[in-house]
Amino acid sequence: MTSPEGLLLAMLILPFLGSLTAAFLKPAARTPAWALTWAATLIALGIAAYLYPAVEGRAVLRNEIEWLPSLGLNFLLRLDGLSWIFSILVLGIGALVTLYARYYMSPEDPVPRFFAYLMAFMGSMLGLVLSGNLIQLAFFWELTSLFSFLLIGYWHHNQSARDAARMALIATAAGGLCLLLGVLLIGKIVGSYDLDRVLASGDLIQSSDLYLPALILILLGAFTKSAQFPFHFWLPHAMAAPTPVSAYLHSATMVKAGVFVLIRLWPVLAGTDAWYFIVSTTGLLTLLIGAWAAIFQQDLKGLLAYSTISHLGLITLLLGLGSPLAAVAAIFHAVNHATFKASLFMAAGIIDHETGTRDLRSLSGLYRFMPITATLAMVAAAAMAGVPLLNGFLSKEMFLSASLAEHSGTIIDQALPALATLASAFAVLYSLRFIHQTFFGPAPQGLPRIPGEAPHWMRVPIEILVVACLLVGILPAMTIGPYLATAVHSVLGDATPAYSLAVWHGFNPPLFMSIAALGLGTGAYLLFRKTLNRQDGAPLIRRLKGRKIFEASLAAIVDTARALERLLGTRRLQPQLRLLVVVALLAGLLPFTRLGYGLGDHQGTVVDPGFAVVWMIGGACAIGAAWLAKYHRLAALILTGGAGLVCCITFLWLSAPDLALTQLLVETVTTVLLLLGLRWLPIRAEEVWPGGRAASVTLRRAIDLTIAVAAGLGMTLIAYAVMTRPLPGSVSRFFVERAYPEGGGTNVVNVILVDFRAFDTLGEVTVLAIVALTVFALLRRFRPAQESVGAPAQQRVQNAIDEAREGRQVGDTLKDYLLIPRVIMEWLFPVIMVFAIYLWIRGHDMPGGGFAAGITLSIALIVLYMASGTRRVEARLRVQPARWIGFGLLLALLTGMGAWLFGHPFLTSYFGYLDLPIVGKVPAASALLFDLGVFLIVVGATALILIAIAHQSIRRPSASILRQQALEQGEG
Amino acid sequence: MIQAPDLPAWAAFIVAFLIVTGAAITLIGSFGLLRLGSFYERVHSPTLGTTLGTAFIVLGSMTCFSVLQSRPLVHELLILAFVTITTPVTLMLLARAALYRDRTEGREDVPLIDENDEQALAEI
Repeated sequence: MTSPEGLLLAMLILPFLGSLTAAFLKPAARTPAWALTWAATLIALGIAAYLYPAVEGRAVLRNEIEWLPSLGLNFLLRLDGLSWIFSILVLGIGALVTLYARYYMSPEDPVPRFFAYLMAFMGSMLGLVLSGNLIQLAFFWELTSLFSFLLIGYWHHNQSARDAARMALIATAAGGLCLLLGVLLIGKIVGSYDLDRVLASGDLIQSSDLYLPALILILLGAFTKSAQFPFHFWLPHAMAAPTPVSAYLHSATMVKAGVFVLIRLWPVLAGTDAWYFIVSTTGLLTLLIGAWAAIFQQDLKGLLAYSTISHLGLITLLLGLGSPLAAVAAIFHAVNHATFKASLFMAAGIIDHETGTRDLRSLSGLYRFMPITATLAMVAAAAMAGVPLLNGFLSKEMFLSASLAEHSGTIIDQALPALATLASAFAVLYSLRFIHQTFFGPAPQGLPRIPGEAPHWMRVPIEILVVACLLVGILPAMTIGPYLATAVHSVLGDATPAYSLAVWHGFNPPLFMSIAALGLGTGAYLLFRKTLNRQDGAPLIRRLKGRKIFEASLAAIVDTARALERLLGTRRLQPQLRLLVVVALLAGLLPFTRLGYGLGDHQGTVVDPGFAVVWMIGGACAIGAAWLAKYHRLAALILTGGAGLVCCITFLWLSAPDLALTQLLVETVTTVLLLLGLRWLPIRAEEVWPGGRAASVTLRRAIDLTIAVAAGLGMTLIAYAVMTRPLPGSVSRFFVERAYPEGGGTNVVNVILVDFRAFDTLGEVTVLAIVALTVFALLRRFRPAQESVGAPAQQRVQNAIDEAREGRQVGDTLKDYLLIPRVIMEWLFPVIMVFAIYLWIRGHDMPGGGFAAGITLSIALIVLYMASGTRRVEARLRVQPARWIGFGLLLALLTGMGAWLFGHPFLTSYFGYLDLPIVGKVPAASALLFDLGVFLIVVGATALILIAIAHQSIRRPSASILRQQALEQGEG
Repeated sequence: MIQAPDLPAWAAFIVAFLIVTGAAITLIGSFGLLRLGSFYERVHSPTLGTTLGTAFIVLGSMTCFSVLQSRPLVHELLILAFVTITTPVTLMLLARAALYRDRTEGREDVPLIDENDEQALAEI
């Protein structure tokens, strides 16, 4: 792991590992969670810094791990100058946000969860910038959407936070899907998803027919993520998140992901007319609209949110211009924006934290309460406004000079210098308003809290960021210069233009534009500052409510889905079943209409009369069950049991004792469970149609009968056609031949289950366990129908008799009712148990096995429950099916994994013979342990369901229902 | 069907006799189920098959396999034991259920419970 490649992987894994660990901490473990995050982030940051030499001079560090080599897809980490500078941003600001969050989060919040989300988000972002192939990039892209959803919705008790989280998720994840489609198209054009190959195929991509769709899809992804107009609506709402989240998501990470992808793919996608028009127009519109809206915000964080949108628009616009110089400015501004915006968000958080409000109108004169925070915020806001000697000034100068340069001669191009100056003036205006309104003027009145200076360590992150702003602003070439150069070279390569990172470029047009913007902004603020406080929403664009459009389109989607459901769906079981059977019937019929129906060469064997009689009985039972199912459920159930027994006899007759045994046991358990369930079904009224059956009902029944008969006949005909043909060569011969030499068992069925196909069995028993738990969970909260809520009539009669007789108490009858059968049944319990164990042990060689044994043991339990009643059994016996299931699953899994110890694949079984005293030589296979796992799971699952139903009978109806019943009886 | 060609003739006669007798007794029991009048009478007839009928068939099976394998095989006795033990349980459960139903329905031809109980039942 000490090679640069290994370190790269470690850097990516660290945050995820930390997240997983933090997620398991107790909610009160504030300091451990924080320390964990802090350590993980700092180590990752250290690794990133250490790796810098590996990317200097256009070098690329790659770590490729095979994933799907057959599809040309590998897990590829790729570090170059651009991803290095973004990694430093992600981790560096991540570390500062972590420090800040420690003091920001309230003691009531479950902080470990917060840090777990934060680190997972950090890891996803890191994965995004380090992705070396496009699919992987889209994957991490969606991960950032997912974790930002969790972070924005962290205060999930808050309706607005939930709404904002959902909105952000839908917008950015939908964009992520577009991005995925876009990169798939790119992959189709280039023939590879490897970033290096894609970056080398710029001409190929731009000359392809698929270029435009790919471009539009990728831009959709980038624009939704970077909150570009008209997809900007989610960002201001995301301010419902805790401030550290806003500071992180909206400065260095989430929104920068879109910009990052634009920069990453700039060499291959930019330079065409389509790119120029779409990207620069969107960027310009976002820049202006964001800045204009920011001026009129009354919420501190809202102002910062719209200014973020505007700055992202600026970066997008720069990228859209398509000139290398503008791209340099874009990269530089992305870095600068991250530093000053993160510090401003944190300052806003401190103000909110200390005063209890974020409303600009009620804030005033805070300078005297928090001079340090105020100074820091002022420097950061000045950087945002583009005041000289700060980093924002440098990138803005570059922006202004890029806007002046000749590009295309279109209207946008002509108007660009003027619009750029206007947008800068807006930025000056809202920055000034932010500072002046908050920190200057008379002392605030009516604040929820008396403000004071924040804890020292809460200010440290802001201090660090502000110092960075100053250093970069004053000494750019000595601080950011070499790193920026590395990043720029990694993107632009040989096309890197000559640019100068100096504070003073002489008296040139950009400087005059800057001065004009500063003057305009300050003047406008002085003129309008009173009016601004009275505004409620930005004029001109007030009607552009992105949220309304978003909600309307969501509602439209939901309405369409509902309409479709009404049109195509039904809640009634009968039509659903009818549809299902008819479709299956037609689908089954289709091949025969085209290819015809014919019997095979095999002539039928002579029917044994005894067997035929058995089958006639079975058929009669089945038909009788269907006939009686409606009004005589008990009789129908007994008849079903009869049909099941005939099945069992059939298996025996055809020499399948294993199947017969299982069938018999399953039949028993099923019947008992169904019987237990019968009590909760409502009583059917015989007379459903008082005035005689309507003709439509008769017709419907006739149709249903026809469908049923047709389906049955169809099945019969298909089965007959198949059975008169010779058996095709199947794997069964292989199993029969290999069962003993390779599986060590003579019961082929069992060897298949626990050895050859053990993995399938493991999956099946897992499903069984899940089903049992689900049934249990459903029944635990089961509320029966009104008429079956009370105690059954039998219980009431019993209790009445007990009360009426002299010297008896309620429950006496029950205590010694049917004493002799009960004793016999209780005594049989150990016998059946021994039988179950016998079935399990002999299963590998003779009919039996874990499944049959499990069912047998559950029958023993059922008998016990029936004999003694739920309370009595549970008072004497520890029935803990959930543990049995868990233990069984573990045992099966561990047995399978045991094979690894001996260097064999998962679930390889070992067999041999054991010499036991008295008993003699017995076969022993490791599959027996696996089968024990199956055994336990089956007992557990059956018992769990049984208990869930049995407990219904002893559950007393809730007090309110009893009271209501008493009331009704009183009235009656 | 599983055939047993190795069985000597004398043994085959004994086995056949035992099994046919057992089957006949069971059949008679089943006829009883069909023919007898009331539930309380009917409940007895199938027990003929589960006790005596099973005993004969078990004996037949024991004879057959003991001769075939030339060693005494007695584990069928377990079948007999368990069937004999469990049949009364079924019988008792069924009979009590029927009695319970008839009593609550107020039938005349079943053993009555005392008057207090009747009063209590009437109130429900």
